Amino acid sequence: MSFDAELDAKGLNCPLPILRAKKAITALSSGQVLKIIATDPGSVKDFEAFCNQTGNELLSSAEAGGAFEFMIKKS
Amino acid sequence: MTKRLSAEERRASIIKVSKRLFAQNGFHGVSIDEIVKEVGVSPAILYRHFESKDELYEAVLQEFSATRESYVEAVVADDNGFEQVLRSMTTVFVSSIMNHPDMLKMEMHSQLEGSEASQEFFLNRWKSFTDYIEFNLNELQSQKKIKPINAKAAALIYQGIIREVLLQKCMQSTDRFQGTPVSVLVDEVINLFMKIIEVN
Repeated sequence: MSFDAELDAKGLNCPLPILRAKKAITALSSGQVLKIIATDPGSVKDFEAFCNQTGNELLSSAEAGGAFEFMIKKS
Repeated sequence: MTKRLSAEERRASIIKVSKRLFAQNGFHGVSIDEIVKEVGVSPAILYRHFESKDELYEAVLQEFSATRESYVEAVVADDNGFEQVLRSMTTVFVSSIMNHPDMLKMEMHSQLEGSEASQEFFLNRWKSFTDYIEFNLNELQSQKKIKPINAKAAALIYQGIIREVLLQKCMQSTDRFQGTPVSVLVDEVINLFMKIIEVN
């Protein structure tokens, strides 16, 4: 899947990955995609909640090798 | 005749009793015998659910992690300057601990006697704060919005004070602040913390 910006939030505990994602998304324009990599297991639930609350679309959420990868499309 | 519980209910009741006993007496201060006596089952039944006391302790921690705090709301609010997010996060965390004081008690026991795994578990709860504070203070410094400060030490100070507030409030006998609600105490602590870091 292609993306327009990438955020490395490995090793950070929530809510920091959320906060940084929020900032990164602000810099994007509507329809662009942000890829986020995090290691906090709580980030799975948190990014779901984040997208519900902000109206941005969670395109995918996957786990690979102890890291979590999210694709979020700006609304 | 006692009602026959399903395996799941039995497991939950063992965890519930263990949580209370671990909080009271720590990991080493509780025996399997005591737990089964309080639950009202035979050791064989307990061992059917948990292989060892370690596994039981882990299950209790696991249950705490299911009540993990969500800071998403605190972060996505419109005006989320450093201070405001810190206030919201602290409110979420403090009320979560006030609702589960056993967790704080187990953390205290774990500081003295706990395994590396349990200490890491409790440390991780605080890491949300220390990460948030450290990252933002470093950012504020690079933007010259605050005077140079050791962000890591500032985060530690904050963790220490909030933990002390919770100790005062969760352990009744040591409450020097009876009559001061925890929310007021937390507000005061944050006011003082903001003075320390001198945000312009």
